[in-house]
Amino acid sequence: MEFSMSADSQAKQMAVQMIEYLKSKILRDDNVEILLDTSLVASGMIDSFALIDILLQLEKVTQRKISPGKVSPRDMDTVTLMLITAERVGKPRP
Amino acid sequence: MPFLSPLPLVAIFLTWLAVRYTPARQARHAIVLLASGIFYYSVGGSFIVILALSIVFNFYWGDLLRRTSSTPLLFTGIAVNIGLLSTFKYLPQLAQPWANLSPTAAQIAALVLPVGISFWTFQGLSYLFDQYRGEELDPTLLEFAIYIAFAPTVLSGPISRLSELLPQLRSSERAGWSDLARGTQQMWVGIWMISLGRLLGSGVPAEGVTWAFDRSAGLGFFEVWLLLIGYGFQIFFDFAGYSRLVIGLAAGFAIQLQENFDRPFLSLTPTTFWQRWHMSLSFWIRDYLFMPLAMVRGDLWWRNGVLVLSMAVFGLWHQASWLFLLWGVYQGTLLVLHRFWQQFAKRRKLVVPDLLSWLLTYVVISLGWILFRSQDLPQARALLGAALNPWARATVSLPASFVWLVLLTAAGYFSWCWLSERLEGRSSLNWIPVEGRFSFYALTSYLVVFYRSSVESFIYFRF
Repeated sequence: MEFSMSADSQAKQMAVQMIEYLKSKILRDDNVEILLDTSLVASGMIDSFALIDILLQLEKVTQRKISPGKVSPRDMDTVTLMLITAERVGKPRP
Repeated sequence: MPFLSPLPLVAIFLTWLAVRYTPARQARHAIVLLASGIFYYSVGGSFIVILALSIVFNFYWGDLLRRTSSTPLLFTGIAVNIGLLSTFKYLPQLAQPWANLSPTAAQIAALVLPVGISFWTFQGLSYLFDQYRGEELDPTLLEFAIYIAFAPTVLSGPISRLSELLPQLRSSERAGWSDLARGTQQMWVGIWMISLGRLLGSGVPAEGVTWAFDRSAGLGFFEVWLLLIGYGFQIFFDFAGYSRLVIGLAAGFAIQLQENFDRPFLSLTPTTFWQRWHMSLSFWIRDYLFMPLAMVRGDLWWRNGVLVLSMAVFGLWHQASWLFLLWGVYQGTLLVLHRFWQQFAKRRKLVVPDLLSWLLTYVVISLGWILFRSQDLPQARALLGAALNPWARATVSLPASFVWLVLLTAAGYFSWCWLSERLEGRSSLNWIPVEGRFSFYALTSYLVVFYRSSVESFIYFRF
């Protein structure tokens, strides 16, 4: 599945919201730099506990219900991957 | 050690030559699978039939899941795999108390564990999960059979993922002499580590960790802690060494396996420890058990409960016993307590010095070895009593050779870690000429293996 950040302003908006959330609620450090492709899980920046909060936030931001069994930590390694995952396995909320 | 007698070593080299000089990829795969099959048969005998059935079932079931992504099908697949594992691993243990009362129970209790079943069953399960999750995996039966039965990993892991192995199997590049040299070097390091683990187990001349555990009832506070440090290093060198050997063997065939250990005894928190110890199982539990269950509810109590449950499963993966269950629950509780502490420290802006953090982690992890290693609950209780009571006096003294062996091993290990961190980016022993390194590994391994007539078998084979 192709996912183009620049072409999709809605996706861009969602990415910004996710990055803000990661900085303020997960890492609690507004000065840390998170880009769309910054590795979060593999780099050890976030752990599996935080992943659950992130997934719940991802559901809110994307307005999609994401089945827990369908997501692996690898799918959540970067903000781009998170949004692709939500698109791939999430079901639109009614 | 199945890989290290002359016949398997010659067979490995012949297989390598055949793979090296066979141009067609399919033919290379067939050679690897045939060699793996012969290897498994030589160790596990007729259990190769169980392995083959597991391969065929998981392959076709995974294919079905890929096409349907059906939850009931996933659960059926899980049930079949867990059922197979339980039949051989857990039922005999459960039937043991009734073995004298019922012939059926006696037959069940006498069932032998197919070697490596805990490892390859988990690999099969991860494939089913990945297919259900919609990962782009389309192995052929031959590729999938290699993934499950690959000779280096089939006995004791590391537990691989098909997503990591498949691109390597499909690579057009063949194993070269440089791969063989790199792999052989890693194998030597592994053999050396295993030798050191065995030395700790059997002792010099004859009083090692095994000897001390057999006399644990008479040990005092200091003796128990020395024993726990010794056992921690024994199991680390034994399993991490075996993993290194296996990773080296696979590297010879140009297959890069997942690391299984990453200097775990330097961890500053229990959470970090579990990201560095038996990583392939730890990450398996995280990805396929903890994460899906934890995400069912957002509540903190649920998440903590699932964490403890996941670690309990981690413990039971080793064996169905109260001690392993307690060990898992203990590790899960440590992880939960660490989470609470992290949040508390963050709120209060507390900073714990690294040295204190390391010491606390090392102490609580070492304490857990009591549950991991004890034969029964009374032994664990006695050891815990002594470990937690600084005034506990010994009635059995540990020989000076054991004390020195443990202290020197610990000093050597931590010095090596300190040195390797300072030689950033460079492998710590690479500054020594290759001849020197190989001579050192060979000499020490020879001394340990041949000096001791009775050596313990690899600890993780029984799991």
